[in-house]
Formats: sequence, C-alpha cells, structure tokens
Amino acid sequence: MNDSGQNMYFSAARAVAWRYLHNLYSKPAVFIPGLVFPLFFLAAFAGGLSAVGDTPRFDYYDFTAFQFGFILIQASSLAGVFVGFSIAADFEQGMGRRLMLATSRRSAILLGYAAGAALRLIVVWVIITGVSLLAGMEVRGNGYDLAGMYMLGLLSNVVALLFSAGIAFRFRSLQAGPLMQMPVFIALFLAPVYVPQDLLTGWIEPVARVNPVTALLNGARSLMAGEPTGILLAYGVAAGMIALLGIWALRGLRKAEMAG
Amino acid sequence: MGQGARKAQPNGIEVEGLVREFKNGPRAVDGIDLTVEPGEIYGFLGPNGAGKSTTVHMLTTLLPPTAGSARVAGLDVATQGAEVRKMIGAALQEAALDPNLTGREHMKLQTALHGLPKAQRARRGDELIERVGLSDAADRRVGGYSGGMKRRLDLALALVHGPRVLFLDEPTTGLDPQSRASLWAEVTRLSVEDGVTVFLTTQYLEEADQLANRVGIIDAGRIAAEGTPAALKAEIGRPSVEVLPVDPARRPEAEEILLRFGTAVPASGEALSVRLNDGIEVLAAIVRSFDSAGIELASLGLNEPTLDDVFLAKTGRHLEGAGEADSGEMPLPEAEPAGAA
Ligand SMILES: Nc1ncnc2c1ncn2[C@@H]1O[C@H](COP(=O)(O)OP(=O)(O)O)[C@@H](O)[C@H]1O
Ligand SMILES: [Mg+2]
Repeated sequence: MNDSGQNMYFSAARAVAWRYLHNLYSKPAVFIPGLVFPLFFLAAFAGGLSAVGDTPRFDYYDFTAFQFGFILIQASSLAGVFVGFSIAADFEQGMGRRLMLATSRRSAILLGYAAGAALRLIVVWVIITGVSLLAGMEVRGNGYDLAGMYMLGLLSNVVALLFSAGIAFRFRSLQAGPLMQMPVFIALFLAPVYVPQDLLTGWIEPVARVNPVTALLNGARSLMAGEPTGILLAYGVAAGMIALLGIWALRGLRKAEMAG
Repeated sequence: MGQGARKAQPNGIEVEGLVREFKNGPRAVDGIDLTVEPGEIYGFLGPNGAGKSTTVHMLTTLLPPTAGSARVAGLDVATQGAEVRKMIGAALQEAALDPNLTGREHMKLQTALHGLPKAQRARRGDELIERVGLSDAADRRVGGYSGGMKRRLDLALALVHGPRVLFLDEPTTGLDPQSRASLWAEVTRLSVEDGVTVFLTTQYLEEADQLANRVGIIDAGRIAAEGTPAALKAEIGRPSVEVLPVDPARRPEAEEILLRFGTAVPASGEALSVRLNDGIEVLAAIVRSFDSAGIELASLGLNEPTLDDVFLAKTGRHLEGAGEADSGEMPLPEAEPAGAA
C-alpha cells in the first residue's frame, strides 16, 4: 500500500468507527445489555456472596476486588460480542453492502468496528470501575499494574470481537446472535469466577485449568492486587487467540464477499 | 475506437461469457456478453428475476462471477476489486441507508469511506445534497425520508468520489413522474457533460427507450437483443399504419387497400390498422392509393414499433406482465409523507 492508499484505508476505518459510535451515543440504551450482567454480578457479590471471602482458604485480599477481575473481563468481552451484533445487523439491513462497495480494502471495515469497540469500552470501564469503587473495592496495584490489567480487558474485548465478527460475516443475520454470545458466556463461566483457581473442585477444575479465560482472569486479579503473576501467560494466551481468531474473522469477511 | 482513444478515456465495460450460479438456486446470469462504450448510457432492460441485479452485483465487485470475465474501466472485477471500487459508484436496487443518520451524516460517512481529504468532505457533501434537491431535508434522519428522497440521496452518495462508471439498479422504480424526470436529467448530464459511463437497469420500456444510448434486453439470464433503441426497433418491429375513413360505408374498400401493404392488427375505435410489410417508405404509396380510389380520410397515423415489440419478437412474450408482480407500465406517483420537502 502506498501513502495515499494507507490514508484511504485508515480514513475508511475511522468512518466505520465514527458511525458505530454515533449510533451508540444517539441511543445510549444500547449500553444497557452490556452492563446488566457485570453490574448484576457486582451487586450479587457485594451482597450475600461476599461471605465466600470470609472462608479461611480464600487468600485474596479483598472480595470485591477479586470479583472486579471477573467483571472487567466479562464486560469487556461482552462489549466485543455486541460488535458482532452490529455487523450482523448491518448486513441484514443492507448497510453492509454500502461498506463493501465504498471501501477499496475491506479489512478496513473490521478495523473500524474494532476501533469503535475500543472507544466504547472506555465508557464501560468507567462505569464498572466507578460502581466497584463505590461498593468499597480496595485497589492495591500501582499505575502500571492497573494499565496492564485494563490492557487484558482490551485484549479480551478484541478476542470476543474477532470471534463474533467471524460469525456475523458468515451468517450476516441477527439470528446468529446466540451463536456469538453463548460460547463467550460459557467460556467465561468455565473459569474460576467465584473462588480462586486453587479452591476449585470437581469437573470444573480441569476445565478451568485449560480454559484460556482462566489465564486472563488470574492475570487481571494479580495485577489488581499489585502482585503480578502469570502475566506472560495471560498476554501470550491473548495474543495467540487474537492471531487465530483474526484469521477466523478475515476468512469470514472473505465469505461475506463471496456471498454478495 | 482506436487503442489511443480507449486509453485516454478508459471507462467502458467489457463483459464476456459472464455466469453466476447460486447454490441451490438458478443460473441467474447465464453467459452474457456485452460492451459499454466510455461515456455511454447503457440500458439493461428486463423483467423481474431476469438477472439484472445479479449482473450489477458482479460488475460492482459485490459478487464474484461463477464463470466468464468482466472488465470495468479496464480493470478485472474478479482480480482487481479494490481498484475497480475506486473507479465506480453504485446505487443498488435496495438503497442501503442507515435510518439513524441524517442525509448530511450519510455524506460525511461516504466521503470518509472513500478517503476524500478532510477539507473537501463537507463542501462535496453539501454540493451533492443541493444537486439532488435535498438541502431542506439534509439534517433530518433518513428514517423519515420518502422513497424518492432515499433514491436521490443514494444517487448523491454514489457520486461523492467522482466515479467514472456509475451503476444504477432500477433507479426509478417506485418514483413519481417528477422525481423520475429529474433523475433522467441528472443521468444525462453526468453522461454528456462529465463523460461518466452509466449502466442502468430498468423494467420500463420508456426509460430504456428515452434515456439509453444503447439497450441490452435480458431475459432469464441471457441477452436476447442488444443495440440502439432505434436499431432494435428497426430490426424487428415494423411500423403500423392506422387510418379512419370519413365515410364509414367505405371501410371495407379502405381495408382492402390497406391489406395490400401489410397484415391487419387491432386498431382503436372505428379505425383500421395494419403492420407494414416494409418500412415507412411505403407511406406515400398508401396515400396515393386512397387518393386514386377517392376515399377521403379523417385521420392517418403511423405507429412506430416499441421495445415491447422487440421483446415479444425475441422472447415470444410481452415485457409487460412478464415479471412476477410488476408490469412494464410506469407506476402511479407515490405519496410523499407529510412534511417531506
Ligand atoms: N442470493 C441469491 N440466491 C439464490 N438465488 C438468487 C439470489 N439472488 C438472486 N437470485 C435469483 O436469481 C434470479 C435473478 O435475480 P435478479 O438478478 O435479482 O433479477 P432482476 O434484478 O432482473 O430482477 C432470480 O431468479 C432470483 O430469484
Ligand atoms: Mg433487480
């Protein structure tokens, strides 16, 4: 790509991101579904379930902070899934064709959605962090730790976004919504959500051990505590999934091109 | 046209053996060949389901061909899609618009998608909105636009990057006569003044006849006939002559004379009509025959053949009523919603 080609590419991506955000902020209700689950969890944990934190073998310093790790990864992933919904809706309603016709390099469309999603994510983070702090969350990590933690949130967002975009490009219909959402939900809950990994027992223990979400979750929690452990693993897992799902999403885009 | 001239203005379309077969579906386009000269308005005429939109989708790189090849502005649609898209603009049959955005916001989106320099975007958008007569509605959401307004906006959007080839898929279907006339004028201006090549599909005979320099008639995925409207009509349809004798008692005699020149066809009211065996050059002989028989005529009319006659001759069916739902008749004007301007 030459210079002017590059300018065109990023201009198209910015245009896609602009529209995504414009439609989001003109209908703020769109934020609600992506926040309902994370905030519900926060409320549930702050209430009755916080008793878990009093059990002797629970060795994390603060139960709300422990849950925040999960809420951050969950809210960030869900925000990524909702981008898949937007892509599917665009193809269902015809805007997909406008984007396909007007962009000379079509991967700019995917980049644009991803950029829009990242900006949307900032709002989500502000809300869940604010509510958690109000609920009395204690933060031990320093600025670098926290930046690393939010970065893991961003990476989970990209992972979920690429996964659901791949489905959206293949089905080009909102009917594929559950196909985007369910696997992400299942992966999230097959991780050490309520208690640290060491305390897991039964069938979930081996599942959680190989679940990539576990690495992200443990990494985020250790950063929140200011005692980073398993960070390389967390970032490595995220990078690997982004590479694989990036291919999945771009192949989906090719499929959408073939289908007209 | 020589090679040099083609290089200087390489915005034609060349299609060879183009095929599109849908999975579990029909061979929607079944081996078509056509050439559109630079700056020409090409009318692609055919009934519903003939394969017009599928052809447009292949030529605009939205759909890869199953077989055959197509070059738009000298670029291969299958292998040079990104370059083709820089050269073309398209307004598809179902205008792809976002009901949440205003007309002006659509312009902003489209100019950015095409990578126009930031400084030019707003001016270009306003200029085109003005040109299609949407200035008053520019800041309203498209969800509240009438069908005609959406089509005009879609056309304006297709023009933002100054495309050299323009694809319009049934641009006037459902438009009121006024909107149709202004769209025809704009298409003609683009072709004549800007040298834009226009590939336009239509189900309307009148549109192909009046707007297009050349017409391709498509039926069931194949090109049934191609040429200028005049040449097509001259090739197939012969004109008919209709006369009305002043004295009704002399009708049988008049009919006898007319039948020497052609075969009887239905006529209006008391008149008599024949489809001529030869061209209009026999008109003088017809007039002389009535004169020498002393039959006075109240009226004498010459009816040129229509593209429907051409369609009938090539496919054995009338274009009108050939489609599933739509007829070839121009539709009644659609009602604009209250407050639309
Ligand atoms: N995506 C598709 N899958 C299957 N069949 C299709 C598809 N698109 C169009 N067709 C079929 O191809 C034929 C030509 O359609 P189309 O090109 O839309 O015709 P036109 O635009 O002339 O009305 C029709 O029989 C239509 O049903
Ligand atoms: Mg069509």
